[in-house]
Amino acid sequence: MAKSEDCVHILQGLLVFGNVVIGMCGIALTAECIYFVSNPHGVYPLLKATENNDIYAAAWIGIFVGLALFALSILGIIGVIKASRTLLLVYIILMLITFAFEMASCITAATHRDSVTPQLFLKQMLERYQKSEPANDIEVTKTWDELMLQNHCCGVLGPSDWQEYTSAFRLTHSDADYPWPRKCCVLDAQGLPVNLDGCKLGVPGYYNSNGCYDAISGPVNTHAWGVAWFGFAILCWTFCVLLGTMFYWSGIEY
Amino acid sequence: VRGCSAGSAPSAAPLWLLSAAELGYTPALTKTPFLEGLTTASTFVLDQPRCVFDDYGNADIWLVVALDKAATTFNNTAGPGTPETAFQDFPDPVPAYMTLNATLANYPCPKPAGDISVLRVGSETSCAQDPARPTCNGPLPGPGPYRVKFLALRGSEPVAETAWSEPIMLRTAKSPSSISTTGSGHSAGMIAITTILSILFAILLAGLVAMLVFWGSDSCGGSSTFSKPESVTVRRYNTHHVYDQPAARL
Repeated sequence: MAKSEDCVHILQGLLVFGNVVIGMCGIALTAECIYFVSNPHGVYPLLKATENNDIYAAAWIGIFVGLALFALSILGIIGVIKASRTLLLVYIILMLITFAFEMASCITAATHRDSVTPQLFLKQMLERYQKSEPANDIEVTKTWDELMLQNHCCGVLGPSDWQEYTSAFRLTHSDADYPWPRKCCVLDAQGLPVNLDGCKLGVPGYYNSNGCYDAISGPVNTHAWGVAWFGFAILCWTFCVLLGTMFYWSGIEY
Repeated sequence: VRGCSAGSAPSAAPLWLLSAAELGYTPALTKTPFLEGLTTASTFVLDQPRCVFDDYGNADIWLVVALDKAATTFNNTAGPGTPETAFQDFPDPVPAYMTLNATLANYPCPKPAGDISVLRVGSETSCAQDPARPTCNGPLPGPGPYRVKFLALRGSEPVAETAWSEPIMLRTAKSPSSISTTGSGHSAGMIAITTILSILFAILLAGLVAMLVFWGSDSCGGSSTFSKPESVTVRRYNTHHVYDQPAARL
């Protein structure tokens, strides 16, 4: 009998440890997702305009899943120590529901990260930047202007985007006067181009020659992989703890 | 054909050979420094003809821009600012126009190092529709190809010219609807996450079902009331009356 007592105690200890880790990871997941949702990196309007903001939905789910994991881990610890069948059954079922939600969040984040390509933003920028009619596009125009100003970049892949494709911008701004938008020029403190002719010619030093795609995809990548991979790691650990709990549950005296 | 800067004065040419001296310079798109806007949809950038027209200090130097197919038929005596060379009627019916009037003072020789000396053909948009400005340096109306040369005029006499440039093609813009935004497929990471998580979830669900079906089955250290049924034996206690039946047993 002593051997099976040890067995039970070891299992209990492992399960309590497992639940403590789950609780802490739940808090970390909530904190990470709150950071992503509130982070003012400024690319949210662009993602919203492409109807591609499911990465934010995944982060919102992550916040609630993290809190649920924390609460359930406390329930689990109590259930294991008291060896109560009902508590543990409730724990297992609720954990499975939380597992399903977190799984959805991870897969959503990973899938939508894959659909964020340069072509998506290129097409959106060409069709909507400086377009005057629908009100939506004031947001897109403002966001692009800020993006180009703050990151000293031009277009998605480079200023040649404006040359290679016709655009809403090209309809209102002639090619000779505006080979690319003025925001692509190096601006002085008043917001005027330092050398307008140099900018129009494309002389290195008077215009921004690199594209903005890196500035957009960097934050999006971090968000998506942060939610997806951290969630995946938590779920793998939760899987082990749940299997152990099921095993323990079936061994409790009725 | 005379070599450049060879020093033979054009005024020594016989009066009946009123042809411009051909200088051995070919106008070309600017190679250094690299310019992003070297050719756009309606403009292009040429090097300035420095140290080319040194012998023609008092001549007006004009740039002739012609359609590729009309270059060879251009008549040097066509004057600038006339209807035959007006920018506003280019390319139809005018096959070549003259613009960017300059003198030798605008192209000092030698070129100071570090200066960017270029000519942007097509940069004046304000006069593009103004027939009162036939020598406007307006934006080119199509992708070309075009050829250019420099022509030096003294009064209305052509005195020197450069060779025609190579044909210059401008950029043609595509429509943004030609950009395909269909996904490039799924990354390995996403597929891994999906499959592994699905498998784990399936195992957990199976475990839950097994748990509930085999409610209370035996496992580590636990004993359950349903594992082995206790054998119930009823002993028959013999009393001293039992010896009535020995014959039946045998």
